[in-house]
Formats: sequence, C-alpha cells, structure tokens
Amino acid sequence: MAALVVFGVSFGVLAVAGGIPGWQAVLMSAIVFAGSAQFAAVAVIAGGGTALAAIVSGGLLNTRYIATGVVAGRVLPGGPVRRALEGQLIVDESFALGVAASGDPGKPDPEATLISGALLWASWVAGTALGALLGPVVGDPSRYGLDAAFPALFVALLWPLLASRRAVRCALGGAVVALLLAPWTPAGVPLAGAAVAGLVLA
Amino acid sequence: MVLGLAAVTAVCKGIGPLLPDVPEAVARRTAGLAPALLAALVVTELAGADGVPRVDAKLAGVAAAVLLSWRRAPFAVCVVAGAVVAALLRALP
Repeated sequence: MAALVVFGVSFGVLAVAGGIPGWQAVLMSAIVFAGSAQFAAVAVIAGGGTALAAIVSGGLLNTRYIATGVVAGRVLPGGPVRRALEGQLIVDESFALGVAASGDPGKPDPEATLISGALLWASWVAGTALGALLGPVVGDPSRYGLDAAFPALFVALLWPLLASRRAVRCALGGAVVALLLAPWTPAGVPLAGAAVAGLVLA
Repeated sequence: MVLGLAAVTAVCKGIGPLLPDVPEAVARRTAGLAPALLAALVVTELAGADGVPRVDAKLAGVAAAVLLSWRRAPFAVCVVAGAVVAALLRALP
C-alpha cells in the first residue's frame, strides 16, 4: 500500500509537470485507476500529442486487464453487473495479491483481490492528490531530474514483465519500431506501431 | 482525455469477468502489448524534440533505473534514482 502511495505521489508530480491540472490528475486516478496507462497518457500529452493519441496509448496498455479479468471472473461472486463493477478493482497489484493469497495463478482469492484493490485505489488517489499539491512547489521538472523519472518509471514497470523470452522479443520489437517511427511521425504513432509489433511478435 | 481513458479502462476491466475463457491464442497475443508499449515509451521519452534519442543526463538516469531494476530494487527506488542521477549530472559545472 505504501508503495502505491509513493507511486501515486510520483504520478501527481509528473502529471502536473507535464501540464495536466492537479484536479484532473486526481480525477484521473480516481476514475481510471490504472497506473501504467495513466503515465503513458500523461507522457503523450506532455510530448505534445493529442488527447486521442493519449487515450489510445493508455487504452492499449489496459487490454491486459481483459485477460486478468477473465481469470478473476472464474472466482468473482455475483451477477454480470456486480462482476463488471468488481472488475474495476482488479489491477496488476491486487491480482497478484489475490493469486498470492490462494496460491493458484488460475484462481485468485476473490476476497483478497477485492479488498486489496479497494485499499490500493484509496492509496493511489491519496498519493496523487499529495503529488499534485507538491508538483507546483517542485517547479521546473528538469532541475530535479523529474523528466528522467518518466523513462525510469517505464523501465521499472517493464522489467518485471520480461520474465519470458517472448516478452523480451516484444519489448525489443516495440522499442525498435518506436525508434524508427519517432523522428518523422507525431506523438502517439510510434506507440501505436509498437503495439502492432507487440501483437505480431507475441 | 481523462473521461475517454476512464471509459476505455472501465470497458477493459469490466468485460473480462463477463467473458467465458478467451482462447489461449488471443490471450498470448495481447500479452505482448504491455512489454512492447512500455519499451516504446522508454525510447520515445529519451528522444529530443526531433524524435532522435539523445545521449544526456536523462539517459544516464535511465541507465541507473535499468541497473537497479536488474538488481531487483523496489519500484520507487528505481524511479527516484533515475531522477537523482539526472539532476546530479546536470548540477555538475
């Protein structure tokens, strides 16, 4: 939980540094509640990309939640509406905690998943609010290396995913495609190209 | 932007629990999206205004984050170290 507060603070600070108003950053954490997608969307906006490009990049990162949702759907209680709502609390961290509680990757413990999801959501929103308040105090983001915090953060998010050779192949492919597209396409296009590379190479 | 992303995310998170098991092949394909996108984000964040990556303090910060991730340092440590390394290099005369 503490880790997610810190993560939220960094999101709040970086979002404000990237030109997102503080209240929008907090609203985003409250209703999106998907860290990597939020960071990706803010990075696209900060890089001069359009709102649509930001939504597409963030949305593509979230497609993995369809897969975790299917797995969690096997154990979540209630009817369709309730299950779809419960799905909103499933993020990487709460899913992992649910799996840790049951000991079976195919059957996360529903109670552990949902309770940790709710606590993580509160930590994430509170952290973002704190970061959004601190952001303007920090001032020029490059002075404290905050511009480097963005790519450092994506490295830290990426690293645990590189558990299989297939994932490494997708990451390398995505990086190469983005590298080739970036000099001559608007912000967002290199990410879309990388997404295609990820689908093809997986 | 916030509302749009919220809607897309809500659909992604909400649809899973309603679906029967998706075919293994589809799940495998979509599993490739996150690593590819995150790697692309690292690259595009390192690029200057012309889209070509720079060798600068930011790159050094990212190198520190790679090293720490590899040593399994906690998430926050990697991010803070990346920022601190870049800031220190810039503070040098």
